[in-house]
Amino acid sequence: MINTFAQIDYLASAGNTSWHRASAVSKLALVLALVGVAVFSPSWLVLLVTLATALALCGTARMPPVLVAAAASTPVLFAFIFVVAHFKGDLTEALVLGMRPIIAGLSALWLVGTTPYPDLFAPLSRIMPRALGDGLFLTYRAVFALLARVERLWKALLLRGGLSGPPTRRAQLAGEAVGTVVLSGFDRSHRLYQVMLLRGHSGRVCGCRHWLELGPADARVAAVLAWVLGAAFLFAGVRLG
Amino acid sequence: MSHLHIPDGVLPPVLWIAGLVLMVVVLFFATRADAHAGPRAVALRSALGAIMLVVMAIPVPITAFDYCMTLAGPVGVLLGAAGALQVSFVVTLILALMGQGGFTVIGLNTLVLGAGAAIARPLYRAMVRVLRPAGAMAAATAISQLFSSVLWIALLWLSVRLSPSILGEHEVAHAMRWLQGGVLVTVLLPLLALAVGLESLLGYGLAGFLERVRPDLLPAAPGGGRRSAEATP
Repeated sequence: MINTFAQIDYLASAGNTSWHRASAVSKLALVLALVGVAVFSPSWLVLLVTLATALALCGTARMPPVLVAAAASTPVLFAFIFVVAHFKGDLTEALVLGMRPIIAGLSALWLVGTTPYPDLFAPLSRIMPRALGDGLFLTYRAVFALLARVERLWKALLLRGGLSGPPTRRAQLAGEAVGTVVLSGFDRSHRLYQVMLLRGHSGRVCGCRHWLELGPADARVAAVLAWVLGAAFLFAGVRLG
Repeated sequence: MSHLHIPDGVLPPVLWIAGLVLMVVVLFFATRADAHAGPRAVALRSALGAIMLVVMAIPVPITAFDYCMTLAGPVGVLLGAAGALQVSFVVTLILALMGQGGFTVIGLNTLVLGAGAAIARPLYRAMVRVLRPAGAMAAATAISQLFSSVLWIALLWLSVRLSPSILGEHEVAHAMRWLQGGVLVTVLLPLLALAVGLESLLGYGLAGFLERVRPDLLPAAPGGGRRSAEATP
């Protein structure tokens, strides 16, 4: 999962498609619409159109096929038990239940794969209390800071016999290893937050690329939004409940 | 079993909407209770949230399944209820953005993960009067993990009951009885016990390390019991 984090983060920052140039707020609105249609629409046709749209979004954003396949398949695995529980011999119902999580997973991938995290968190932190908004930003930042350390620690444990012996010993050593990472992460986050405060952090993470600055790329996002909502009403209507 | 990897579109809307509303209310009170937290507390929360995400990414192979550890118990002990609930929300939101669990179940996930973490510190404080910090941490972790698991199972049961296509169907009712009677006892309970044991041992090692290196991060026993520490962020 951590590798996926890193890959998505890189795609969001280094990508250069028109979706990457669109503002975070318009992309959030589109994803909200996609997930809303996926969750509430009972029509398989609407879901099929929405799924095709989500796939097209990922394709045009140049998401690697492996990531797209993972985003589409992971939720289906977890939804499988529900599909089985609901299955009464009606394939359409199973299809609807199966498509919903795929659409949501692909939409999430498109959003995080085209939006750098400061831009993505900036509008979210506007509607959260300061502590939560700051926590969101610092936590995401700290994951990457800890990533290399955890990998090194894991190798050291392996080489020095920390992963051999009885399970109790292994778990205890792993706990101590987690302790060193906790302290390291705490010190890093503390320093970073103090630097942010010293540099005038007001409690709102600023979107470095102007999360609300609408441009020509946002017109495409708006067009897709209109298409998704229009298709939902045109083909079957959205059931709200 | 303290985090629902359930994607969007499979749970009944009444359940996840109630979860979202309850999450907003709980977070409102949690942030208010923690309003005077300084930079140190924000930093510790962020570090522990990141550790939760990193630990969740390490798959622990248990039989054919990979168990995903959460560290919710130790995080709850170190942060207290208000901080742990906030961290649970942040972790759940980031996981949802990464496609691990749906957007619509953010509320339920936060509540399931956060509820277990929230009871961990009172349990630890009660037990650290008679146990070493490592032992108290392990016990608090085990109980909080079990509590989260019970909530998790209750939510799944509720979601099945609230699904319109399932209510009143004999086949599904029979399957549920079979699940409760056979699979639950022979498969799920041993796996749960193994998972709780793993988390507890991890908590044991973590508390043992912190007791030696940074005892100030561990909460003190009420009334300055025998394992009290200097201060808690």
